Amino acid sequence: MAFEWSQYQCENVYDELFERPGAPRPAAQQLLSYLKGISAKDLADRRLAADLAIKVMGITFTVYSEGKTLDRAWPFDMIPRVIARKEWERTERGLKQRVNALNHFIQDIYGDQKIVKDKIVPAEVLVDSVNFRPQCVGVQPKYGVWAHICGSDLVRDRDGTLYVLEDNLRVPSGVSYMLENRMVIKRVWPELFETSNILPVDDYPAQLYDTLAALSPRPGDQPKMVLLTPGIYNSAYFEHAYLAQQMGIELVEGTDLFVDDDDCVYMRTIYGPKRVDVIYRRIDDLFIDPEAFRPDSILGVKGLMRAWIRGKVGLANAPGAGVADDKVIYAYVPAMIKYYLDEEPILPNVPSFLCMDAKQRKHVLANLDKLVVKPANESGGYGMLIGPRASKEEREKFRGLIESNPRNYMAQPTLSLSTAPTITDEGVEPRHLDLRPFILSRGESTYVTTGGLTRVALVKGSLVVNSSQGGGSKDTWVVDLDEEAEPRPSQSQAQSQSSGGAR
Amino acid sequence: MLSRVADNLYWFGRYLQRAENTARLINVNAILMLDLPRRMTLGWGPLIEIVGAESTFREHYEEATEENVVRFLIADPRNPGSIQSSVYNAREILRTVRDTMPRETWERVNDLYFYVQERGEAGIPRAQRQGVLSEVVNRTLLIYSVLTSNMSRDVGFQFLRIGTSLEQCDMTSRILDVRSTRLGREQSGPDLSPFENIIWMSVLRSLTAYQMYRKHMKARVNGAGVLRFLLQNREFPRSIMFCLSQVASTLPTLPESRKIERAIERIRALARDANIDALLKAEFGVPGLMDEIQIGLGELHEALAAAYFKAE
Repeated sequence: MAFEWSQYQCENVYDELFERPGAPRPAAQQLLSYLKGISAKDLADRRLAADLAIKVMGITFTVYSEGKTLDRAWPFDMIPRVIARKEWERTERGLKQRVNALNHFIQDIYGDQKIVKDKIVPAEVLVDSVNFRPQCVGVQPKYGVWAHICGSDLVRDRDGTLYVLEDNLRVPSGVSYMLENRMVIKRVWPELFETSNILPVDDYPAQLYDTLAALSPRPGDQPKMVLLTPGIYNSAYFEHAYLAQQMGIELVEGTDLFVDDDDCVYMRTIYGPKRVDVIYRRIDDLFIDPEAFRPDSILGVKGLMRAWIRGKVGLANAPGAGVADDKVIYAYVPAMIKYYLDEEPILPNVPSFLCMDAKQRKHVLANLDKLVVKPANESGGYGMLIGPRASKEEREKFRGLIESNPRNYMAQPTLSLSTAPTITDEGVEPRHLDLRPFILSRGESTYVTTGGLTRVALVKGSLVVNSSQGGGSKDTWVVDLDEEAEPRPSQSQAQSQSSGGAR
Repeated sequence: MLSRVADNLYWFGRYLQRAENTARLINVNAILMLDLPRRMTLGWGPLIEIVGAESTFREHYEEATEENVVRFLIADPRNPGSIQSSVYNAREILRTVRDTMPRETWERVNDLYFYVQERGEAGIPRAQRQGVLSEVVNRTLLIYSVLTSNMSRDVGFQFLRIGTSLEQCDMTSRILDVRSTRLGREQSGPDLSPFENIIWMSVLRSLTAYQMYRKHMKARVNGAGVLRFLLQNREFPRSIMFCLSQVASTLPTLPESRKIERAIERIRALARDANIDALLKAEFGVPGLMDEIQIGLGELHEALAAAYFKAE
């Protein structure tokens, strides 16, 4: 037997699939009893099938080193993470609320700055924000939406509370892996899709297309849309190509586009220049336009900001949206929700200490061995201090960093992060994980992916889930329990019985 | 269609075709070597001439031994035209234009890429060479088949076709060039004539043209017949005339370019008006014509680039 659940250790953590050792959560029951019937031989065969699928489907992430691109196969765990639909619906509401408030905030910050005048957010937070773009002040994007695509990271602590760890509003990535994980898992465990009510995830590309199309400055026409990528050396290039292909839009690089004297954006085609209406840009603000931002950027398009400000092209995400993607601003999101929406936050923030505040800084410096310290504007898990695991030297280094630039640091208690059973060389063991759902905003409506991308720290005990640092991923199932009692009519009795007596 | 993408699709077609042709070329040469007596000095060197990589080869190898040449052509990353490099280049290009081709293309190109990475070295010694190279050919054919069955005949497809046809035209003219040079040269030395037909046969085989030749020409294999067939036949897909017709047939779907039309017409005239018998009699007659065809292909490439790839 490959899956001997009685051996599975999950004390002192919140496990996503087990309430306590030997007791599956209701949503995971069917999956776990099915897996129990899988022999070691069968598992090995399916592992091979999964590896082959990943390799042949070319699901990779790119590591650029020593002048060469290295494609690494996407590390993928075969045991899905399961979420009950009821819980997910609440999470979904919380995410919509949050992104809605964030968009209000960005609009306000580049407008009247009421939230600063009303002293909810201190002015110095903005003054020193590296993601605040003065070029965006006074711009009014369509629908007042700046962050059309948001990827928020959720983590669960020991007591089961789901927290928002951060909101990625610049160029969040990972959604293609969410889609590909589902493709792979369907090849691995097709039987489970016949008997369980697993909600589909593949609506995302169509939803994204609609979100982008709504930004076209020329309504009525079939908008000409492109995805702007920094190119094959970018670690998310796979995703750029994937999404462009799924949406049937052109994948372009900066050199394919130019802005003409009429301030419109054109792409260079074999038929001559063709006007572009909407750009889904996957290049950071500072590189999108050498005229407005870094003059040394060769990735961007000269004059793009001009075109956007004049309303000649739609840009997603809007330049400057990253101002709310800052770990210090993050601490004010619950206050924003109250301020702009007059609602109570549905999803809590992780308690945060801002080093710019003298009192909180004192607390942080006194508790460096217990806290996680994060720089305000890094992503990918870089530049962090995980206090309980750091050496004395590392802690002292951070003490210096915090004291010399307090605005740039915040700290949070070390969460224990929930676990889920994961296949390792030592058998099935608990591994820590998080969840990144993606939220699409288009003014009148907001769409949230069904589940999201589950990232798992494959190293025993590790809390770092980033793929660049030894992380892997799992397929994420939102399972509808209410409907499970009654099998869908299309499924024959024989099928549900032959699935190893799952219920 | 983006100019950059058109350019990439064109090169994707060329690299893929190059990998396939090189694999066939090596396999056929091995068979040719078996048919010729030991004192014949044909050897493996001509393969390097055919792919036009003499100077690169000399930079890295002392002697054109079988092992050196085969390694250079299959698995040497320093040879930009090796099978490994061609497949690598095709795959790198495909990365940038993945969204324009059916998803399966990427999967099949990955298959080919990993196969060449993992098995390329194994194809160097004779024992397994035939098997490895046939597999390379099979896997490239699978990619064409995915494209033919699943890709819309949009402009992107036309650029792929232009790339594969031009590459084939190039390869056919190179094989004729080198093999006929050798025949002319050797005639003054040791007597090649008993083996002349074997060599012409291997020219056909390198281009998988033997069977079609027999069917079409209804004659035994000889220099004049082979030349006529590979230059002028309008039905055989690797003949120069056929490849040029392929390129010409894509033009109505693309923005008009007189320069391209003229370049195609010039090469067509060379192939069509060639006086085969006179060419064979003249010293360097065939190689001279092939040089002209090569120059014409270069001009065609430049015209394509100016019209579509570098478009402002």
